[in-house]
Amino acid sequence: MAARTRLPLLFPKNLPPFRNQRLVQTEAAAKDPAYPPIVPSRTAKSKSALRRQVEEHVQKVRASPVEEKLALITRIQRQKFVVYPQTFARDADRWYQHFTKTAYIPGLPEKFTRGQEHTGGEEGSPPAAAQTTVPGIENDAFADIRSLISRVILQEHWYQKKRRPFLFREQEHMVGPLLRNLVSGLTYSLAKYNPLLPLCSLDVNPQVNFYWSRGQRIIPRGHRSGRLEPTRFQIDDHPHTQIRITQQLPEFAPLEASYDAEVPEITLAPNLMPMFRRQYDNNIFTGSKLPDPARYGHTQFHLVPDRYHRDRMARQQQSDQVEVFLRANGLASLFAWTGAQAMYQGFWNYEDVTRPFVSQAVITDGHFFSFFCYQLNTVALSVETDANNPRKNLLWGTESLRLYESVQDGEVVGLNDSVIKLLVQFLMNQP
Amino acid sequence: MLFTSPLRYPLYQLGNPQLRIFRPNWFLTLVRPGKEQPPDTAQFRIPMEMTKCDVKNYLEKIYNVPVGAVRTRIQFGSNKKRNHLSQKVKQPDYKVAYVQLAQGQTFTFPDIFPEKDRTAAEGSVEEMQEKFLEDEKQKQKPDPRRGGVTEWFGL
Repeated sequence: MAARTRLPLLFPKNLPPFRNQRLVQTEAAAKDPAYPPIVPSRTAKSKSALRRQVEEHVQKVRASPVEEKLALITRIQRQKFVVYPQTFARDADRWYQHFTKTAYIPGLPEKFTRGQEHTGGEEGSPPAAAQTTVPGIENDAFADIRSLISRVILQEHWYQKKRRPFLFREQEHMVGPLLRNLVSGLTYSLAKYNPLLPLCSLDVNPQVNFYWSRGQRIIPRGHRSGRLEPTRFQIDDHPHTQIRITQQLPEFAPLEASYDAEVPEITLAPNLMPMFRRQYDNNIFTGSKLPDPARYGHTQFHLVPDRYHRDRMARQQQSDQVEVFLRANGLASLFAWTGAQAMYQGFWNYEDVTRPFVSQAVITDGHFFSFFCYQLNTVALSVETDANNPRKNLLWGTESLRLYESVQDGEVVGLNDSVIKLLVQFLMNQP
Repeated sequence: MLFTSPLRYPLYQLGNPQLRIFRPNWFLTLVRPGKEQPPDTAQFRIPMEMTKCDVKNYLEKIYNVPVGAVRTRIQFGSNKKRNHLSQKVKQPDYKVAYVQLAQGQTFTFPDIFPEKDRTAAEGSVEEMQEKFLEDEKQKQKPDPRRGGVTEWFGL
């Protein structure tokens, strides 16, 4: 007789096969055991912990938007060297070249010298040629600009009677208004030839700041003695006027061309220059705040103050330092401006620039004009990032060229056309 | 600045020859810099009464050295040490001037005490003594045939 087996009421028709014999071997370890990643500690008193903290900070800065990036980079205040673009120090341009990793190339880039070569060729051609030496500018427009410049010069030196200014304020009184009128007049008259200029922003006495670190030293004394400290620098510059544009200027030379350039190496500490250290807010500023659409730089105009005027230098038998001063001024001011522009785009020490940033400057003391072009190829200047960085920044510059001889009987004598041409070319620079 | 001249010069009237000679009573000491200085900088110890302009004129007029810039500082001499009577002993203060030369000139402080090659003359007593000492030292050295292994163990 069939014993009643204990089966369920609803007996399934198809039983799962061989429930007891589980197929053990085929259930491979498909899922890896999930261990957390092995990283050094974050809070231990060890070198690897410090490295991890630095790495995490770098990742944090990389991941944040631009305002936060700037805030995080300039957060901590420490003792830093204050770099003055207009300095009395001797051989300042060599020192500044080392601090900013810039190579100096005498003369202007090919863009501007091509026009000069054209002049040499065209002088033989008949004078009825419609185009002048500057491409894009007609003869009449050039004559207009000439008359504008002579008007501006006469206004300050002939028509307006000025009293003898106070001690060391001569440049500010005589040449300051001249330069301001010159810049604004040139910008307005060239606005119809350069499509960037109608949308540009002309700043008067703006502020340009930049903060960076380059090189390191061993702290000699104190509770931190023996440890490595990066040397920090800050530039606080006040150019006389500057023009900021909405689009970026094209590069003067390809990035790879800067690999062969020579930058002077100075192994001594910066305070032997002499340069002094202070601790205050670290600022990075182009001349306007971040949301401004005109965030790329075009041209800066600087005024040589009385203290560094060439007559005074000649009285102190330091005439050779005049050119040095101009070069140092151009270098520091343009480096600060282009560096700040790059920072505004989100490039910083650990994220190097992908395209070169370009700006121009004109430094004058009323009679003599010097023209400088700067190309920023790298912002990675600190010790860790500079180890394998072949890029260098480039500075092109001229010697000082005389604009006019003197003012006599309501006429400007000896107006130099090549200088006017260079000025116009600088302002006409567009992508 | 004090001009002390022991002579009495004759009274000067317009047209007379200029007879007065002013010689400064100051003396500069050129020193080797303690910390490394740039190649165009020379370091001097100067009397306390001199100023930067005085240093510049001194070097330019007396020694015809083209001077670019001068920076001075006063070094405090320590007053901490005490003698056998527990009195404080003051080391004198002095003024240091860092002079940057013009016209691209450079200056390095010369080596005043160069290393002399101390080989004694042939056939002299010193040479025999040196040779004897060298032989003695050579006897103390271990046997080179053992290849650096010590002689503590072994035969």
